[in-house]
Amino acid sequence: MPKIIINNKEVEFEEGMTVLQACELAGAEIPRFCYHERLSIAGNCRMCLVENKKSPKPIASCAEPAVEGMNIKTNTPLVDKARKGVMEFLLANHPLDCPVCDQGGECDLQDQSMFYGFDYSRYSENKRQVKEKYMGPLIKTIMTRCIHCTRCIRFATEVAGIPELGAIGRGEDMEITTYLERAMESEMSANVIDLCPVGALTSKPYAFEARPWDLKKTETIDVMDAVGSNIRVDTYGWEVKRVLPRVNEDINEEWISDKTRYACDGLLKQRLDTPYIRENGRLQKSSWDQALKLLISKLKSFDPNEVAGLVGDLADLEMIYSFKSFFEKCIGSTNLECRQDRIYINPQERMNYIFNSSINGIEDSDFILLVGTNPRLEATILNARIRKAYIKNKLKIYSIGDAGDLTYPYQNIGSNTSIIREIVSGSHEISHKIKKAKKPMIIIGDSALYGKSGKYVFETLKNFLSYNNFIKKDWNALNILTQQASRVGAIDCDVYSINEAENFSFFNKLENDDFKLIYLLGADNINFEKKNKFVVYQGSHGDRGAEIADIILPGAAYTEKNGLFINLEGKLQSAYKASYPPGDAREDWIIFKDLANMMKKPLGYHNVKQLRESINKHIQSKINNGVKKTNEVDFIEENISVKPIDYYYTNSIARSSKVMSECRQISKKFLFTGIEKAS
Amino acid sequence: MKISRIIKTVFMADFVAGLLIAIKTIFKSSKTINYPFEKGKISPRFRGEHALRRYPNGEERCIACKLCEAVCPAQAITIESEIKNDGSRKTTRYDIDMLKCIYCGLCEESCPVDAIVQGPNFEFGTETREELYYNKQKLLENGDKWETVLAENIKADLPFR
Amino acid sequence: MIYINIFFSEIYKIIFLLLPVLVSIALIVWLDRRVWAFVQKRKGPNVVGPFGILQTLADALKFMFKEIIIPASANKVIFVLAPIITLTLALIAWAVIPFSNEMVLANINVGILYLFAVSSLSVYGIIMGGWASNSKYPFLGAIRSAAQMVSYEVSIGIIIVNVLLCVGSLNLNKIVLAQENVWFIFPLFPMFVVFFISALAETNRPPFDLPEAESELVAGYQTEYSGMMYAMFWLGEYANILLLCALGSILFLGGWLSPIDIYPLNLLPGAFWMIFKILGLFILFSLVKAIVPRYRFDQLMRLGWKIFLPLSLIWVVLTASFLFFLDMLPVAG
Repeated sequence: MPKIIINNKEVEFEEGMTVLQACELAGAEIPRFCYHERLSIAGNCRMCLVENKKSPKPIASCAEPAVEGMNIKTNTPLVDKARKGVMEFLLANHPLDCPVCDQGGECDLQDQSMFYGFDYSRYSENKRQVKEKYMGPLIKTIMTRCIHCTRCIRFATEVAGIPELGAIGRGEDMEITTYLERAMESEMSANVIDLCPVGALTSKPYAFEARPWDLKKTETIDVMDAVGSNIRVDTYGWEVKRVLPRVNEDINEEWISDKTRYACDGLLKQRLDTPYIRENGRLQKSSWDQALKLLISKLKSFDPNEVAGLVGDLADLEMIYSFKSFFEKCIGSTNLECRQDRIYINPQERMNYIFNSSINGIEDSDFILLVGTNPRLEATILNARIRKAYIKNKLKIYSIGDAGDLTYPYQNIGSNTSIIREIVSGSHEISHKIKKAKKPMIIIGDSALYGKSGKYVFETLKNFLSYNNFIKKDWNALNILTQQASRVGAIDCDVYSINEAENFSFFNKLENDDFKLIYLLGADNINFEKKNKFVVYQGSHGDRGAEIADIILPGAAYTEKNGLFINLEGKLQSAYKASYPPGDAREDWIIFKDLANMMKKPLGYHNVKQLRESINKHIQSKINNGVKKTNEVDFIEENISVKPIDYYYTNSIARSSKVMSECRQISKKFLFTGIEKAS
Repeated sequence: MKISRIIKTVFMADFVAGLLIAIKTIFKSSKTINYPFEKGKISPRFRGEHALRRYPNGEERCIACKLCEAVCPAQAITIESEIKNDGSRKTTRYDIDMLKCIYCGLCEESCPVDAIVQGPNFEFGTETREELYYNKQKLLENGDKWETVLAENIKADLPFR
Repeated sequence: MIYINIFFSEIYKIIFLLLPVLVSIALIVWLDRRVWAFVQKRKGPNVVGPFGILQTLADALKFMFKEIIIPASANKVIFVLAPIITLTLALIAWAVIPFSNEMVLANINVGILYLFAVSSLSVYGIIMGGWASNSKYPFLGAIRSAAQMVSYEVSIGIIIVNVLLCVGSLNLNKIVLAQENVWFIFPLFPMFVVFFISALAETNRPPFDLPEAESELVAGYQTEYSGMMYAMFWLGEYANILLLCALGSILFLGGWLSPIDIYPLNLLPGAFWMIFKILGLFILFSLVKAIVPRYRFDQLMRLGWKIFLPLSLIWVVLTASFLFFLDMLPVAG
């Protein structure tokens, strides 16, 4: 490897690195505004100036490729003077409004001016004033503060794939703008807030809410989609004030979707904080004792086979597992289901329901076939990764079903199951491309697994891949794109009713009115008629589930408990308690523990540690399961159309969020999927 | 021991000298002031009771930057902020626990808009503890009451800041 | 019927004596604080009443309305009894103090012995208070106090013997009348000094306020007391001070006699001169409080036993020899 001398220290660096990266290897920190590891290099802030022995002037280290034999100094008086000069120019037009700026306390410019700034100004001229720009309900702009690092522009064009941000004018007149003064058409637009090194782009819903030093920071996991983005939840007392991304190279790099970031105000609204019992058609406030006693008497009055449980989208493993063991041990019922959306799954093997190639694997892939999925809405961060792979590798992307604008070009090869038959039989041109590819990926979405042909689509594609030797230890091309944070975990916990004959026995029974009591565990995306069923709802928000419930038991939301989540790749991640449940609400697994104790049939675990041990044992046995062959499935001709998704309203927390409603209002004006009509 | 010392001890010369000084002192004027009726001069920098000031047009000066809250060594200040209709940053809550406060003056020092100040008033004892949990309304009232003096004090201290 | 008459006339006399004593205690406390303040160039209490003269009354009112706290582990009976005994003993001693030839409640022959007995008893009040509090500081304070009072009572007793040698009677009236020609302060001046210092120690006044040395024992035997019970201790203490001032003026300063028996002065009533002398001694008490730092306990004991006791004993021998050899011994009776 080539070598470079930095501050008289010799370091080895990889070919293609910049001087700045090499300096970081040597442990010399370089101040920067425009440079960002995940964005292209702009070199326009000039803050990263360093001294090169061979060049008469200081060089911009972020834009200079490191070359063998360079002698770089980062702490000489020349460098210091240069940086002070740059800082003075930056501050010449930067307003002195730190006290009212939301970036205050976490501002790069503020921090670096502590090292390189003067405490007085030599400029008597008026400061520049720039008109505010409208960038939608999420981004607040104070453009006077902008230092033109262009990080936001580069993010929008490169990562988000919506070239809607740009700079107009030159020199002092340069302005960052959306050109048409409208909201950014991206599900991850708010990441520009984190990128902005100054307070020019700040968070609108969080405006003036708190200071960074006021907030308690908890590193946890997101549940808005199945990606399981790593987030940091900032709380002020009980309130969750904001959600920020956390770096995890394997999952979300450092981006999160707008829904992840801004659904958090839904945690403050529509909360269930006390148990309710329906009396004479109206929900009345009640006590835990009363509600649980009523529930137990109801459970005893029905035959175990008439009792059913439905697990919602935001449930953590503790919740799911204790729910299941409560049903098995205390009620004796096996009528459990987690698939509110009725998609086909084959739970015999763990790879049948997870994203096997892994999110990181997308970057290594050389061929992607999307089957009935719109990753942009179903897994925004994963879509950003596909776009990154597209830019990096120029990989070919095909789709069965029209997915609309995915921020990268792809070829739609039809929207019928017959295409799959052609591919499998080898008569379609795609077939050869898959076979030729070294690391192909087939991403099967919910829309393809829904309906009668779901089984055919899945089993046929799996057999095809397996036959062509793409299901191996080092590369598994079979990918299921689930949308719900709880889904993979629930299937791992065996929360489904599948028998030999039918995949949806639960729903068939539900429609035949075989159930008398149905227990909804945070299940809000429900789609059945209540009729004369007795409904128990346990969850955090007063939403569709609570609306029809006869007993409501208040539970904790995802930021209010320590929980385990399995993301779509099958990765087990731990979420931490950032806040606490409001009012009388309790952590969900404790409710089941109490219920079991009241029924004198204890679940066998008394604390979280014991619970997690049994969960772990259960999941380990799933992972180690051997391969099972599946039979050929008869062809069923059906259209595969990508189902439109109400992106900002996918779960009860998002539905309670005011910010999400605003985003939804605005997004209705956009065309996303190509199928949707503009309203 | 010297003989003179012994004589002094026997006749208690030191004690008598002390006694004479004490008697002389009795007839000298006292150096203290008659507090509730007379009051000493107070420096413009005196750190007494807190007040929140307003601009002459009645607008609150405080912009909820939370610097005072951050700098307060006793953590006596609690601020909550929001965005006003005109887009300005204002407090919805500004509480000072006067019992926690150590009257160090750092809040005043940190304030970029001279909103929170410590006035010349030091006579604000109350009968209950609750009365000493000052809220925004109380602080603004203080500000209105003492504004003339506060403004003068700030002006007097201006050359040294 | 006749007994009832005697009873009421005695009550009337007692009240006529006690009221002025209690009122003067209040004034004297105020005077004490004022003198102390003036020496320190302060103002002292000056708000309640003219020149703050009613300050003590206000303080007493405050004490009356304060809650009396009795510690849970205290011996309640003795705890309550202690201040009562202190105050009672301090007040009953006044029965034999003559304010003039006639103005005396009980003109008994052994007046000085009675006085001495009563003031010796007052140490019990302190010991009881310190012990009954069942707490460390009061206990230590009470022990110190008892040791101190017992020590100095010895030298006071011997000083009184000196005076008695010159008078030849235990009757206080006779003692005063014996000084018609010359006050005993002149022949017995060293004894007056020793008496004065011992009186300071006897009444726990600075510089001998070790039992309540606030820097080490909080408030000594009074630590656990509050409200009116504390005030009673406090009243007793000042009544004792006043009593010793009165005793001092009777023994050495000629009691109610006017300084010189000349025309305008001897017209003034004897009570006036008595009060004048008591007041003078008390001001000296206050001045001493203001100018002398506190003694250490071992110094206090050394002073009492090693200096005052031998000195007063020697002086007894000297006085007795003097009177015997010059044949000036008084006639008995």
